[in-house]
Amino acid sequence: MRRVVRAELLRLLRRRTIVTTTIAALVFSAVATLTIVTSAKDGPSIPGRRDGTTVAELASHGGGTQSFAVGVSFVSFFVFVVFIALMATEFSGGTFRALLLRDPHRMRLIVGKLAASLLVAAGALALAELFSFVLSLALAPSKDISGSAWFSMAGLGDGLRDYGTALAGIAGWAVFGATLAVVFRSAPLALAVGFAWAGPIENIVSQSWAPGLRFFPGQVLGSLIRGGSADLGLGRAAVTSAVYVAIAATAALVLLTRRDVTS
Amino acid sequence: MTTTDQITTAPSRAATPALSVRGLTKRYGQRTAVDHLDIEVPTGVVAGFVGPNGAGKTTTMAMLLGLVRPTDGSGTVLGEPIDHPDAYLHRVGALIESPAFYPALTGAENLRMFATVGGHPTEQIPALLAQVGLGDRGDDRYRSYSLGMKQRLGIAAALLGDPELLILDEPANGLDPQGVREMRSLIGDLAHGGRTVLVSSHDLSELEQVCDWLVLIDTGRSLYQGLTSELLGGVASGLAVVPERPADRWRLRELLFAAGHHVDERDDRLVVSLDATGGAAGRVDTGEIGTGGIGTGGIGAAEIAAAVNRIAFAAGIVLVELSPLRTTLEDRYLAMVQGGRR
Repeated sequence: MRRVVRAELLRLLRRRTIVTTTIAALVFSAVATLTIVTSAKDGPSIPGRRDGTTVAELASHGGGTQSFAVGVSFVSFFVFVVFIALMATEFSGGTFRALLLRDPHRMRLIVGKLAASLLVAAGALALAELFSFVLSLALAPSKDISGSAWFSMAGLGDGLRDYGTALAGIAGWAVFGATLAVVFRSAPLALAVGFAWAGPIENIVSQSWAPGLRFFPGQVLGSLIRGGSADLGLGRAAVTSAVYVAIAATAALVLLTRRDVTS
Repeated sequence: MTTTDQITTAPSRAATPALSVRGLTKRYGQRTAVDHLDIEVPTGVVAGFVGPNGAGKTTTMAMLLGLVRPTDGSGTVLGEPIDHPDAYLHRVGALIESPAFYPALTGAENLRMFATVGGHPTEQIPALLAQVGLGDRGDDRYRSYSLGMKQRLGIAAALLGDPELLILDEPANGLDPQGVREMRSLIGDLAHGGRTVLVSSHDLSELEQVCDWLVLIDTGRSLYQGLTSELLGGVASGLAVVPERPADRWRLRELLFAAGHHVDERDDRLVVSLDATGGAAGRVDTGEIGTGGIGTGGIGAAEIAAAVNRIAFAAGIVLVELSPLRTTLEDRYLAMVQGGRR
């Protein structure tokens, strides 16, 4: 496993990839923070909600990383798409087949690749959260937010929790993306299905069928990343996400180990 | 005469074959891609794996490499059972189907990545790139490579870890004549120090020149396996006959035809056909004009040549060439395939 992770990191940690990922993380962080802080309205925080729309929410101890948490929930779909493309092209391009000639353990190969990608994602998320915190601090006076609560132990705990839930949510999207890639072995097909499901189908159905917000995988992961929502608390979101991820990972690994590799 | 049981030369170079399969079968639904295939490739040979498109070459190689699960059959690669590819793949280098690398990485970066996954030393990468003729292009991105360069990088990747067995699937596919020649030379160079090379192709003339062992298959079944020299050696497909005066060519042809020979014209020569065993095809004649034929088969090329010479001499035709035409791998292969399908 370690060899696969190291090899994948060799690929991912090239200068161009590092620069691109860093710029993407900073831009995402800046856009999310600017948007949320500058658009925050006066008013009380709404229990169970953490979408950063009120000054009171931002002024609380978790406010320093709230923009990051909300922003990640919006870009998680993009992460899902990236993971589908990354993994599916391994199959359609034949590189997975070529790597199997070096290491025939299919499960080790796919898990190692996923782990390496998540390590890079973890770094990018840390950078994004840190930058978002600094930018929030700089923007706070414009909304009469002191930001002193952000440096408390509770604020640190919220920051860590935001990072953890964001990473867990991204990992969930990564597993879903990898599963679609394994099932379809074609980037266009896997992307089409992923887009259709996590985009219009889940969102449209959830509009008319409220329980969808608590049961659809994409909605559940969204709630997890936001640290819980009015429809689904953090604990329940974490447990439900874990169940979905376990089901998807099992299906992917069973398919991967039983199917012939023909492309 | 076209089954492996009937035409097999026992391996003699080493006690343990580099690879051996028995009854190897792969079915996809109703379609049988590989049909009870028996193959044995001795250690240290350059073995050609020959068959038309769809014969089952790639599927067989994929089964040997653990990519495709056999429906039935068993076998060993480097002495290890094929259902445990992890036991032998680190000693095997392979290029199967087309080369597959990461387009955004350079040739050297791709090799470094594959070497890391396989646990092979990366220090050998510059030497490998030089060996396949990519010494000065190793730092260029893979996406900028020509098809020939991609194939050569595929060979370099297969050579990572100095494998005992190389399995190359159509390595010259899509290359121009110059590239094919370079690939042939490269494959010849790879077989050193007891390394075994199994190379598949449908370009029979290329394999004929580089392989000392052949495995011929068609529709998933084996037709022949053994030494190339034994398949081709000493067997003529015809006799080339050239009269001194071109004007005599038509008359000689008629005389030979009247004597029962099958005669074709190729370029400026008459070609008297022999069957696959080197005897005359069809009704043959002893050479005595007007005595009629003596039946089929059982007459060697030398005797046919003598008969042809006598016919020409009796008609006052002087021959400037009377020579056996060497059987090519293509001739033998096509005869076997056609025989097998009848």
